[in-house]
Amino acid sequence: MIRGLAIAALLLGVVPSVALASEGGGGLINVDRSLFIQMINFGLLLFILVKLLYKPLLTKMEERTQAIRKSLDEAQAARAEAQREREEHAARLQAAHAEAQAIRATALKEAAEEQRKLVEGARAEAARLVESARSELAQDVRRARQELRQEVSDLAVTVAERLIRRSLRDEDHRRIVQDAIARVDKVN
Amino acid sequence: MRAREGTARRYAKALFDLARGSGAAEAVGQELGQVAAVYAADARAHETLTRPWIKPEDRRGVAAAIAQRVGGRKLVQDFLGLVAERGRADHLPEIIAAYQGLVDADLGRARAQVRAAVALTDGEKQQLAAKLERALGKRIILEERVDATLLGGFIAQLGSLILDGSLDGQLGRMRQRLARG
Repeated sequence: MIRGLAIAALLLGVVPSVALASEGGGGLINVDRSLFIQMINFGLLLFILVKLLYKPLLTKMEERTQAIRKSLDEAQAARAEAQREREEHAARLQAAHAEAQAIRATALKEAAEEQRKLVEGARAEAARLVESARSELAQDVRRARQELRQEVSDLAVTVAERLIRRSLRDEDHRRIVQDAIARVDKVN
Repeated sequence: MRAREGTARRYAKALFDLARGSGAAEAVGQELGQVAAVYAADARAHETLTRPWIKPEDRRGVAAAIAQRVGGRKLVQDFLGLVAERGRADHLPEIIAAYQGLVDADLGRARAQVRAAVALTDGEKQQLAAKLERALGKRIILEERVDATLLGGFIAQLGSLILDGSLDGQLGRMRQRLARG
């Protein structure tokens, strides 16, 4: 590119000079000392232009190219990162979903087990209460029977004592004593 | 209670040994019984002999005087004086019971306490004593007491042996049978 620019500048500088030379002295360009000076002038101008304008421009362009490339790379990396994160999120979401499903299944299983235990415990407690009530009832019945027997026997004996005390005469006492003396033989 | 009975037995044994040595064991027992009756009837004499703040020699003199009043021999007077002096007059009922037991054992006899609803006739007493003597192989002395709370019959006790010939006992057994069903 630099070379093409130099050739173009050389042609632009040489061609008018040659034409001017041929008008004045028989040709377009007079080959003399002014030509040489013009060439030097042109060379200096070209050097200055290249040094002051073209190279900074090229540098700037290169920097811009690099910046754009860097931006493109960064954008590409960011897109890749975003894609990776999206995939990662999707994977996490799937894992969380699976874990939630597992937790739900476990919770359901535990709840079912707990319910079964509660039902069994309630049944056992109910059976125990029934048995206890039955036992207490039977005990109450036994106690009531015993108390009734005791009261009946007390009453019967009390009545018998009164009747006996009222009806006992001296000959009865003698007979009772004789009977008791007769039973002394049974001591042995 | 056991200590009290042990003390009474020691006193009774000492007196019994002395009385048997002089051949008056049973007579001493009778005199002791008379003194005990005086003690039981005379509350002032009983109090005087059991109060710890009365001088021992005074208690001894009172006890000896009571024994002398009922005609107790010298041995009984000295014994009762000793018991009162040592502050053991309140043990006298247990001492007399233990002494009677020693005399009875020495003479091969037993004492039966009989509680009866009505007083036993002499014939009944003889029959009962004869039956008990035959059953136990010992001569029996009946000590009868009328107990109006008894319905009929009698209850005889010889030591730990109890013969229940009362209507109360029969009714009690009937009550138990009825209660058992």
